[in-house]
Amino acid sequence: MEKIKNSIKNMDNSIKTLWLLVIIVLVIMLILDAANFFTFQNLRSMVFQFPEFGIMAFGMMICMISGGIDLSLVGIANLAGIICVEVVLNLNGSIGFVPSAVLGYAAALAVGALCGLFNGFMIGYLKIPAMLVTLCGLELYKGLGEAITTGPALTGLPDAYKLLGNGDFFSIPFVIIPFLIVVIAVSFIMRSTVYGQQVYFMGTNNEAARYSGINCFKTTEITYMISGILGGVCGIIITSHFNSAKSDYGTSYTLLTLLIVVLGGLNPDGGKGKVSGVLLAIILLQLISNAFSILQLDSSLKQLVYGALLIGSLLVNIMRERVALKRETRLAAAKE
Amino acid sequence: MKNKKTKAILTSNQMIIVYIMIVLSILIGTKNSAFFDFSTVITLCRVALVTLIFALAEMLVIVSGGIDVSFPAIACLTLYLPVFLETKIWKIDNVVLIFVLAVVFGLAIGAFNAWMISIMGIPPLIATLGTSSIINGALMATTSGKEISNLPASMDALYSSYFFTYTAPSGMTYSLSVLFIVPVIFIILTALLLRKTMLGRGIFAIGGDRNAAKVAGFNVRKIQFFVFMAVGAMTGIAGVCSCILARTAHPTNLMGSEMMVIAAVVVGGTRITGGHGTVIGTVLGVFLIALIENNLIMMGVPTYWQSFVVGLVIVLGTSITSLRAKKIAQSAKV
Repeated sequence: MEKIKNSIKNMDNSIKTLWLLVIIVLVIMLILDAANFFTFQNLRSMVFQFPEFGIMAFGMMICMISGGIDLSLVGIANLAGIICVEVVLNLNGSIGFVPSAVLGYAAALAVGALCGLFNGFMIGYLKIPAMLVTLCGLELYKGLGEAITTGPALTGLPDAYKLLGNGDFFSIPFVIIPFLIVVIAVSFIMRSTVYGQQVYFMGTNNEAARYSGINCFKTTEITYMISGILGGVCGIIITSHFNSAKSDYGTSYTLLTLLIVVLGGLNPDGGKGKVSGVLLAIILLQLISNAFSILQLDSSLKQLVYGALLIGSLLVNIMRERVALKRETRLAAAKE
Repeated sequence: MKNKKTKAILTSNQMIIVYIMIVLSILIGTKNSAFFDFSTVITLCRVALVTLIFALAEMLVIVSGGIDVSFPAIACLTLYLPVFLETKIWKIDNVVLIFVLAVVFGLAIGAFNAWMISIMGIPPLIATLGTSSIINGALMATTSGKEISNLPASMDALYSSYFFTYTAPSGMTYSLSVLFIVPVIFIILTALLLRKTMLGRGIFAIGGDRNAAKVAGFNVRKIQFFVFMAVGAMTGIAGVCSCILARTAHPTNLMGSEMMVIAAVVVGGTRITGGHGTVIGTVLGVFLIALIENNLIMMGVPTYWQSFVVGLVIVLGTSITSLRAKKIAQSAKV
């Protein structure tokens, strides 16, 4: 009991807020529509949905910790998905489904990595602000995807292709597996590797990181490459979910991923943030989104709520920091 | 001495855009001889009318070291709500009131943005992204995407008043709307503001180095409030203009135009990190992008390649400006 009390006390402020919000959503749903919300069926449907944007959010997280931002993730995901589908469509007939799918997945990851490397080059070498590079990148990758598909969605995939996004094993969706792998990999990288520490350091103070001997260009390249690869993974899942590929799937995910990382306790200026916070934020937003669909509310209202949450959470964080700062200065004054 | 000055002018950002535009025009002209006609100028002006106002507003923000991605949402709100109030609630017909209301709404949202950014210290991109999604969500939820197509008669009257009408050799008529006076006025006002007033100097100063500007005695908060509220007012007017030109009040038509506008501003030589930018460059940037977007089909580029080509132009444009800035920054130290 004592232990639990202590762990609650030591919890991050942002994580405390997140738990509070999760509980609020659960209580609201308990009152409004418990019969439909607290069912195994609903839990299962939620697990099918969140890996798509959840994986993307981790890409955004790494970039934001490094002091940048990646707004091109949706573009990368769609482009990678389109390439993957193209490969499967072209090779399925000649070499069979499984080899062609493996090749397609590899191609998607490679495309994601390449797009990320391009972003990283523009940001790290040419010193163009990350926000601008990735905003341009979004347009560029989307345009490339549109050029490859010539507009309409690519369809005609074999039925086996949609297993990853829609299939399950003893009612455990397959799609949770890549998500868990990403969570474990990202938390390992950020916690236990030199690179992870360098990202935090670079985000806190780019100049100081450079003077202390960190190769900022290389770290930036790796950061955006990882983000791009995660975008590629997400692209594979999206195409599998829809069983088709198009250049403008998931356009609402940009705002959503940004909201997730900010709610998850990341500082938009970089240097701060934990995997656990982001994970909790993903679950919270999935709960909200699910609550909207169960209560049959207009989905555009969701956008309003997301925007309000984004601004509201930032305002709360800032107010809290200011109060803490005031208290500290008062304490310091009292000591004297 | 004089030689050096001409060289500086000939290799400046603005002139590079002019060169690109000339080369593009020749390319388009060789493919389609109808391009070299006065009608092209009128078409370009008509296409660029609303974008010009957006771009000038966005340039002000970027020069001051911020960014605003909420202007399409502000414009959507300020074109829809006044028209809705006049046609559905008050049943009156007054175009001046629509403009006034649009400016008031724009100012209010701009002040909210400025409060979040300047006083609460939220990064401009995230703050305006939040505003944008709140406004867009609210508009979509309340209107469910339905447009108002029977506008007040005074707005339609404005639509059909032209400066002049030109009849092309092919027999088609091209008319330049009177509304083109709006961006022209804004161009002059912004140029005067940035070049001749202390406030304009202040906008450059806080974009270059906020702390230095503060030490030098500029009221940073006041300037930021001015900039974001000016964006609100200008986009309000731009929204009503686009509504009149489209002859319908659509709640989401303008969404998604922020990328093009920011691109036009940056291609026009405004540094995204703040502190540098010219009105002429921005105007040229807008026309360059309008030229490309409007004539890709004439050049034989299939429609599905268009977004890629525009994206490529933006990436090249921003890289060139950034590389030049980097070069200048490095040469200054020696």
